Amino acid sequence: MAALLASAPLLALVVRAFADEWRAPALVPQQLGLRGVQIAFSGSSAEAFGNSLLVAVATAMVALVLAWPAARVLGERRLRHPAPVFLLLAMPLLVPSYAVGTGLTEWFIRLGLDGTLPALVAGHLTFVLPYVVLVLLSGFGPRLTALEEVARVNGLSPFRRLLWVTLPAAAPTVGASALIGFLVSWSDYGTSLALGGGRPMLPVVLLPFVGADPQVAATLALLFLAPAVGVLAAATRAGRMPL
Amino acid sequence: MTGTRWRAGARWRAGARDAALLAPSLAALALLFGGAIIGAARVSLVPLGQGPTLEAWRDLFDDPLFADAVLFTVRTALLSTALAALVALGLALAVRRRGALVRILLALPVPVPHLLVATVAVVWLAPGGLADRALGGLPVTPVRDPAGMGIVLVYVYKEAPFLLLLVLAALGRGHQESDEAAAALGLTPFQRLRWVTWPTVRSPLVVGSIVVLAFALGAFEVPLAVGPSNPPTIAEYAREATQGDLVSGQSTAAAALLLSAVASIALAAIAVRAARDPQGG
Amino acid sequence: MSGHELDCRDLSVSPGDSPVLRGLSLTVPAGSRTALVGPSGAGKTTLLRAISGLQDIDAGEVRLGGEPIHARAVHRRGIAVVFQEPRLLPHIDVQDNVALALRAAGVGRRERRRTAAAQLEEVGLGGLADRRVQGLSGGEQQRVALARALCANPRLLLLDEPLTALDPSRRAALRRVIVELQQQRRLTTVIVTHDRSEAAELGQRIALMLEGLIVQHGEPRTLFERPVSAAVARFFGVSNLIPSGAETLAIRPEHVRLEREGGRRGIVVEAVYAGDHVRVVVECGGQRLRAHVPPPDAPRVGEQIGVILPSEHVWPLPAATSRPEVTGSSAAPRVTL
Repeated sequence: MAALLASAPLLALVVRAFADEWRAPALVPQQLGLRGVQIAFSGSSAEAFGNSLLVAVATAMVALVLAWPAARVLGERRLRHPAPVFLLLAMPLLVPSYAVGTGLTEWFIRLGLDGTLPALVAGHLTFVLPYVVLVLLSGFGPRLTALEEVARVNGLSPFRRLLWVTLPAAAPTVGASALIGFLVSWSDYGTSLALGGGRPMLPVVLLPFVGADPQVAATLALLFLAPAVGVLAAATRAGRMPL
Repeated sequence: MTGTRWRAGARWRAGARDAALLAPSLAALALLFGGAIIGAARVSLVPLGQGPTLEAWRDLFDDPLFADAVLFTVRTALLSTALAALVALGLALAVRRRGALVRILLALPVPVPHLLVATVAVVWLAPGGLADRALGGLPVTPVRDPAGMGIVLVYVYKEAPFLLLLVLAALGRGHQESDEAAAALGLTPFQRLRWVTWPTVRSPLVVGSIVVLAFALGAFEVPLAVGPSNPPTIAEYAREATQGDLVSGQSTAAAALLLSAVASIALAAIAVRAARDPQGG
Repeated sequence: MSGHELDCRDLSVSPGDSPVLRGLSLTVPAGSRTALVGPSGAGKTTLLRAISGLQDIDAGEVRLGGEPIHARAVHRRGIAVVFQEPRLLPHIDVQDNVALALRAAGVGRRERRRTAAAQLEEVGLGGLADRRVQGLSGGEQQRVALARALCANPRLLLLDEPLTALDPSRRAALRRVIVELQQQRRLTTVIVTHDRSEAAELGQRIALMLEGLIVQHGEPRTLFERPVSAAVARFFGVSNLIPSGAETLAIRPEHVRLEREGGRRGIVVEAVYAGDHVRVVVECGGQRLRAHVPPPDAPRVGEQIGVILPSEHVWPLPAATSRPEVTGSSAAPRVTL
């Protein structure tokens, strides 16, 4: 019952996506069809899906690699004065992403990187990296250190320790932070708009359709939702939420 | 003597190692974030092909539309955040003893993009939308209304679950034990709410609310999708400025966005200070 | 400030569906101290939670000072609980934790501080009033929890394994504090522990709980030396249960004497040094008898030895009865071996 109530708004989106004709005040579409799908999968929309996916995956990966050592230091509370570090991490989360994008565009134009995928990844990294560090650090601490000590005492080399002990033990947090990194990048509008320089990104392409053509908007919205559904499915299976 | 020196050396080495481990991410952040802010400041002060000038800032403060935008943005953002926090708190108290299923259902909107929630809101709540058709007319029209009710609605729907997760996480750590101990000492349910539960959830709620507020102040996909065209939010105002005059528009936009960034940071600082008051409840 | 009698009648409790207490009855006289012992899983904590109201009961009643209280909300029962973990509130200092119940009752700030300071003095923590809770050791935190419970001026004090998390020396010190304060105030008190010797030191009386029922309640000596059943005997370390005709004879290992000459002859099959005594097992006519003897007198494994069971210490277990609660002690009957 509750599940039905929670999914009702989204079910309407599915109907809307496949309704070629659905004039008010009818509660049921007059004609079903694939017009929305055709438009959504042609031209810049399809390209936008690919761009968004590529940028989100790349951003999450880069963020994870950069965040790992920092999360380790912060999670094990090794710093005597961690406040400045956390302040620096918090800053990008407090500033409009459009402001970050606009400021960075200035430099990317000079560097000739304007509108490239690396520029978009760099822009998203500004606020994805803090999220990933903040989630990842909860995976480190005395519990993990204790396991690593066991591995050490048992003579595992640093590489095997990482592979057999640290990574498996930290896997849930690593997974959660990667997913959050992906979703934050995937959902971002402001930076993509400012840095895209004409390169289509899914949210940027979707927005104009919301007012102009609800059918196409609904179809693109379902595409936009796909990764989130995947995340929820994975989280439900793992029996916990990523946040 | 040598022992002390050796220990000092070891501590220095550990500190250097930690600094080296922090360096990649902090350097990347400092470069990108610092670069963005400096870049924005530069654009606002040095328009393309011109010398340094304060014109963009002067234009900004002289424009009555910008004043409207600031007022509108701050009002909707504060309202969204306060309502989301209230809803999250109420839900948390209602479901704190419930199982995982209820919590997962309530957390459903967390990974869903804002723009998607806005799209759903339009499909249902716009004039001629599904709710309109099903009920044969809505008492109010939240989509594109000048008061920005649609914006608030979307933010509350999207952010209350996020805050709920933070609050429930705080309530999970030994709160029930403390609450039982307080009950056994003779504290009434209301006293326990005030002296045990509220201090437990206060700081995660404040931190989460700051993130929500900052987002609501700065993001503009939701206002673009469900908000009125007039007044605009600050981000919308900046966007419109870039589409006007190619040179001065960029500067005005950058100035507006910088101002919004400073306001967010200032509000966050005030909130953190207020939350630090030990007997604030 | 003297206590009230606690009377639990036919309590049935099923936390999480499976029954844990099955018609349990227990009476703790006003102003007395009962130690509740039992193996883990017996339902000791569940009983305390049912009495304090933290756990709903399916059937039965709880009376305190004659009035039924089981229908009242937790905070209206006048029962203070000290838990296994201190459960102090981290955001307020020590004295505010101690005075929490007074604050709840609307007592003014100055009066609260004065009472809290006096209470802290009593548990041996004078001078820590302004400290933060996090800085305290485990033992200090548990003392603060005790002070907090006493400050509520309860009609009944329940302590749920309050010493388990502490190391042995702090444990002994806190044990003394608990006994002293209870005696001063004559506060009706129930202390849960899973350690039988701790129960003997803490309780004026001991109640043994097995599988959701009180199987014996009486003075410590009675439970140690006059157990009502084999299960009680085993819990209290009466390791010699000797079948003799239709009945079973029980004798504690420290009461068994070993002699070089005479007695029932047997062979020593085990002798383990345990610090203050040597644990000896003697194979004797197809039976294994256990004795605790002082180290200097200990025989060696393989030695032939005589076993003497002094008749004043031999206790025939009553024939299996279903009536659980038995109080008091009967005189030792004559035993011939």
